[in-house]
Formats: sequence, C-alpha cells, structure tokens
Amino acid sequence: MPTPPALTRRQVLRLSATLALAVAGGSTLAACGNDKSALTGNQTNVSDYDKIIAGGPVAEAAAVDGNAWAAKIKAAGTLKTGGSDAGPLFSMKDPSTGKITGFDAGLAQLLSRYITGKADGPIALSITTVDTRETLIQNGTVDTVFATYSITPARAKKVAFAGPYYRSGDAIMVKSDNTTITSVKDLDGKRIATQQGSTTADRIAKDAPGAKVSLFPDDAQCLAALKTGRVDAYVIDQGILISNASTDTTLKVVGEPFSDDYYGIGVTRDDPSAKEFVNAWLTAIEADGSWAKLWKATIGTVVAGDAPAPPKIGSVEGS
Amino acid sequence: MVNTTRVLFDEPGPRARRRIALATVVAAVVVLAVLFWAYRGLDASGQLALARWKPFWQQWAVAFLLQGLWGTLLVTLASALVAFPAGTLLAVGRAGRRRPLRWVCTAYIEVFRSVPTLLLVYVFLFALPGVGLNLSIFWKLTVPIILINSAVIAEIVRAGIKALDRGQTEAALALGMTTGATVRRVVLPQAVRLVIPTLVTQLVALLKDSTLGYVVSYPELMKQANNLANNTKLLFQAFVVVSAIYIVINFALTRLATWLETRIRQRTGARPGGAPVAGGPVATAVDPVHDLPTTVAPH
Amino acid sequence: MITVLQDNLGALWQGVLTTLAITALAFLSSVLLGTLVAVFRVSPIPPLRLVGAVYVEIFRNIPLLALLILVAYGLPEVGISLSLFTTAVLSLALVSAAFACETVRAGINGVPVGQAEAARALGLTFTQSLARVILPQALRTMVQPLVNIFIGVALGSSLAAAVSVGELTYQAQQVGNRTAEAMLLFGISALVYVVIALLGGGLGSVLERRLAVRR
Repeated sequence: MPTPPALTRRQVLRLSATLALAVAGGSTLAACGNDKSALTGNQTNVSDYDKIIAGGPVAEAAAVDGNAWAAKIKAAGTLKTGGSDAGPLFSMKDPSTGKITGFDAGLAQLLSRYITGKADGPIALSITTVDTRETLIQNGTVDTVFATYSITPARAKKVAFAGPYYRSGDAIMVKSDNTTITSVKDLDGKRIATQQGSTTADRIAKDAPGAKVSLFPDDAQCLAALKTGRVDAYVIDQGILISNASTDTTLKVVGEPFSDDYYGIGVTRDDPSAKEFVNAWLTAIEADGSWAKLWKATIGTVVAGDAPAPPKIGSVEGS
Repeated sequence: MVNTTRVLFDEPGPRARRRIALATVVAAVVVLAVLFWAYRGLDASGQLALARWKPFWQQWAVAFLLQGLWGTLLVTLASALVAFPAGTLLAVGRAGRRRPLRWVCTAYIEVFRSVPTLLLVYVFLFALPGVGLNLSIFWKLTVPIILINSAVIAEIVRAGIKALDRGQTEAALALGMTTGATVRRVVLPQAVRLVIPTLVTQLVALLKDSTLGYVVSYPELMKQANNLANNTKLLFQAFVVVSAIYIVINFALTRLATWLETRIRQRTGARPGGAPVAGGPVATAVDPVHDLPTTVAPH
Repeated sequence: MITVLQDNLGALWQGVLTTLAITALAFLSSVLLGTLVAVFRVSPIPPLRLVGAVYVEIFRNIPLLALLILVAYGLPEVGISLSLFTTAVLSLALVSAAFACETVRAGINGVPVGQAEAARALGLTFTQSLARVILPQALRTMVQPLVNIFIGVALGSSLAAAVSVGELTYQAQQVGNRTAEAMLLFGISALVYVVIALLGGGLGSVLERRLAVRR
C-alpha cells in the first residue's frame, strides 16, 4: 500500500500547526490576568506571618553550641524538616508565590530562626507522605517533622516526640442539607472520609465501629468525596474543616470536637539532645507569645476567639 | 491500513448511499445528543461556570503548571536517557549466545516487565530507606521508571533484532567481522531503526509513568495539579486541565511515531516494528500494523 | 516474618482477589468496547468514524492516574456516582479499550484482502462480512497483542491503590507499613503480579495454538 509523500508532508504541516496553535494558545493564556482570588486554600495572613518569624526568639550561642544536634543544624545554616505542602492552615504551598505557610510550617521556621539566628528562618522541606515520617527521621533525611503528627505510643517506639505543641480535636463535616449526622454516635453505619496517615481512622473505628472509612491522600480528595456524595461525612481536625466551610456554603461543621489529638514534633531517638533542645525552644516561643501570634495568623483566621493555651509539654504518653 | 474500509464494503450504489446518508444523520444526532446531555449535566452542576476555570489561566497558575511540566519532562528525559541504552544492552544480552548473561538478562526482563511501576515506587519509598538506600524524591520516582521501562524497551529492541533477516548477521560474519562488531555495526543499527516508531510511543509510556510523582510528591504536572486542587478547591477543573495537557503532548508524540513509521516503511519497504524484511517467522512481539508495541502497558 | 504473613494473610488474599476481579472485569469490558470502537472506525458512517478516532486519541493518550481521579471525583458531578471499585474497573477499561481497538483494527487489516472481497462477492453485507468472515480470522493475529493488553490491565490495576481501592499493591503497602516487613510484602506482591503475567501469557499461547489454522 503506497503512501504518497504529499500525505506525510501534510501530516507534518498539520502537526506543526497544532503545536504552533498550542504554543500561541499557551502564550495568550499566559498573557491573561493574575487574579488570585481563587486561592481559598491559603488563608494565612502573610505579612503578619513573616513578622512573627522574624520576631521569634533566638537561642543563646552557648546553648546551641553545647547541643550536638542543634550545632549541626546551625552549621548547615538551614533546618531540614518534613511536612506537607497541601495541608490547609498547617502547611500549604501557595502556587502563586511558591511559599509554604501555615501553623506547622511557621513553627519549623521559628525553630530554624531559634537555632540559626536568621530572620527568615530558612527551612528545607521534604514532603512527607502517608507513613514516610518515621523512616525519614530514622534515616536522617530530616532533622524534624512538623506534620500534624499525632503522638502515639506506637510511633514513639520509632521516633522521639518533642511537645505536644498543639491540641487538635476531630470534628465532623457534612453537607449543609444533612440533618441525620450531628455527633460522632451518628457516624455508625455511615461512610466516612478522612486523610491517610491521620489517627482519625483509628478513632472512628473505636467510637463508631460500624462506620465505613475511606482514606484519601489530601484534604481536596476528602472534600470532593463528601461534596459528590461518595461519603456521608468527612472527619478531621476541626480547624481544617472550619477553613473548608468558610469558603463553601454547601458544607457545614457539626458538633464539638470529639477527640483529643496531640501533635508532636518528630525528632530522632538516637540523640536525646534533640528532643531536649526542641522542648526548650517550644517553652521559649510559648512564653514570649510567638506561639499564640502564629496561631492567630494561621488557624486563628478561621477559628474564632483567642489563641488557646498550648498543651503542657510532655503531658502525653509517648512525648 | 488506508484501504481497510475500501475492502470491507463496495463503492456504494445509490441505495447504499441513501442508507449511509440516513445512518450518518442518525449517528450525528445521537452523538450530538450525548454531547449535549453531558454538557447539560456539567452545566447544571455548575462545573462549567467560567469562575471555576478562570483561575487556571491566571499567570500564577500558568507559571505553576509550567514548573510541573518542567518536572514531568525532566523525569521523562532522565528515564529515557538511561532506559533506552540499558534496554538495548539487555536485548543484546538476551539475544546473545553467552549462557549466564542470557539467563540474567531474560530473568531481569521477564520480572521487571511484569511488575507494576507503582509497586516498585513503593519499594523505593517505604522499603529501601529501611535498609539504608534512601534516594532523593526525584530518583525515588525515576529509578523505578527506569528499571521497568528498560525491560520493556529490551523487548521492543529484541523484536527488531528478531525481525532482521539472518542473512545480515551471516554476511557480516562471512566478511570476517567479529560477533561484537556484527552486533554493533550491522544488527543493532538496522534493528533499532526498525523499531524507532515503537520506541517513540514508549516515550508516551514513560511520560505517563511520571504521573506517579503524585504518589511520591515530586513536583511534576500531576502533583502540581493536586496542589492547585487543594488550594482552589477546584479539583475537577485542575485535573481536567492537566489531562488536556497530557493528551496534547502524547498526541503529538504518537503522531510523530506514525509519521516516522510511514517514512521508514517508504525507505526500507519494510513494515517497521517487527515485520520481517524477507519472509521468516513473523515477529509478533510488535503489532505489525500500528504503533502498538505489544509490550506497552496501557497506562 | 512468618507470623506477619499468617496474621495478614486475609488482607493480602483480599488484595489478590480484588486485583484479579478488577483485571478480569476491566479486560473483558475493554475487549468488548474496543471491538465496538474498532467497528466504528472501519464503518462507512463518518460521524461514527470520527467518534472512534477521537475516542482512541483521548484514551490512549490520557494517563490512567489522571483518568482515575477524574472518574472518581468528576463523574459524580454529573450525577454518576460509582463505587471506587467500579471507578477503577471503568477507568482501566476505557483506557485499555483504546489499545484494544487499535489491536482489533490491526487484526482486521491483517486479514488478506481476498477474504473481504470473497465475502462481498457472496453477497454478505458489511456487518455480516465483518462478523462472520473478517473478525474470526483477525482474532488469530490479535491473541499476542491482547495478552499484552491483559498484562497491562493487571499492572495498571495497581494504580487503583492511588484512589484507595484495596487491591494487592494497596494492601501490601498498608500491611508493610503496619508491620515493618515492607520488603517481604512487596516481594510477595511482585511475585503475584509476575504469576498473573505468566498465566496470561500461557493462556495466550494455548489460545493461539487452538486458533491456528491447520494446514
């Protein structure tokens, strides 16, 4: 079957025309506006946020040099930390700036500032997935993990937890027109979405044993699952849910938080000076008000009222 | 291939032409109705509202997606640069006569082309750091892609080698060339040329594999889309946008492969992708007509 | 090590069954759908040919993972809410059908022209000559490519893990995480996939021999 060369040339022409069109289209699009109003995921007050980091306390030089773990970080000039880049309120990357902000990210920066003395609190973030957190700490990829990281005795066998630095409570989110679910008891027999790697799934298994739990990677997938009726409710930290509800009137948060979940800062178990140092830092930022200010600029943008009292350091089993 | 339809039905007469015209109208109406129904459904749900799409052509979003595209291309190119030569070597090893080497190559190829890339990514993500092998995120994504695709590429190249007329090797050996020189200078250049279109389509497979950046959090297109989805709460739109980008790129690559195929067929008179130049057993390892190498996984 | 396996055999076995179920359902649907699209592509009716061509170009070029996410979260927006298992089967079938279509089309093209001419000379219509003469013969050359599509479907089913379907890869990862025996569990899973691929290949060879024309 002979194919005339003219055809292939036409194919080439068509191909290059398609490509040219795509490029032209791309550049027209790029020439469009730069309206950022769609970025609802990031509600951090950025100007406050930067000021809080720069105003954070700095450790005495002797304290850093006297602590093997901290001295190493100071020499490196940056804190290697693990966390998310898709967690609303806690650690979220703003696509328009590439900047990662949130309560967890801010704490990591404050710790970096405390050790290095630099005003911008430089961090090198490794994205942690579902359960890479323990591994990344154990093998030294990261110095710390700030990642809505619930302290559990099982995890504490693999890594050391400084803190707790935040008391989270799981709450329930449903569609606005849902009237059958008002508390955790009503979750029994229902389909529930929550995020992978959170302790929420275990909690639901205990409080509502008949619930069918689906694990999704990030907030967006859980939210989509709820909105499209794939699940009846979405259970996660109340702050995250309130943040979602504040930008979407078809959703609501019901009931009070039904769990106490304490977030800790994961560090290595091999060097006890690490946990000791991070706890000293946590005491310092809680005492000078940086903790409360950071809460206000991040979680406080959606949760009403003053910053709560931070949980007592070392008060949780595993910390 | 051009003539398929000519073969299956005659030049239609007046009655047949009327029937075809009728069927055309009916089919067109049905197709339009389905499209309209889909449009109505999407429209009713509000998914088509301009406000839900507008964010994606704002400068920040375009820049963010371009970063993702760069990540995607980086992973694809790095995988290709290693997997193509490695696959070729494996193919030569498997086709060769040295026993242990042949066994090793065969075992490698058979295992790695039967294992899902995601499983291997999990191995690099969760299992290997525990025994001290902790690569950067880029390599945790790229190394599994390389390991699997070099096995797939080996099979493609081997199909090319098998498709080559034995006379080529015999002539080269008769001229006094060593086995190594025969492979390097006679067999491989021709075999690879035969399977170039298939190799180009394999680029599409590599590109698709790079979407696993979503799983390991490497900032390629899928991961960036997920980030946009989390930031804008426009999950459906974000993934429609990146899917469209993938389709355009892959479409261009598939077209390139088809074009190369026609060119090679014109120049050599052979059907590229494994059909024999002169008789011999048909190498069915590659689809003889289109650019579908049988070793390409449809994902 | 042994106890880890004993304790989690149930979860792993569930994963194997889910993988097999997804693979079987998606493969069969993709062959049926692929044949239909191939018939569209060779039919004399222009709108159907266009639909067939557009279908193939979209679904063989879209990454499966992207389609999975779209079907899982996009289809419910138009009122079609499927279970995650069905989502996985449907997405895999849609993608593989594009490849199956091209295989069927290639198979049709591989049948000697004389066969179609003879069928027409006997007065068979387009549908009759396709169904009774061309496709049965095309099947022979299609076996190997179809085996490869089958293996591709089996491997592709692992991506269902990314939308939380409890198939083999997902279970291996979950159990591996819980028990710190990740390497062992991934090794076993890899073995299962290799066995599935080998079985698929073996079945293909048997089929090819059965279909071969005795001369």
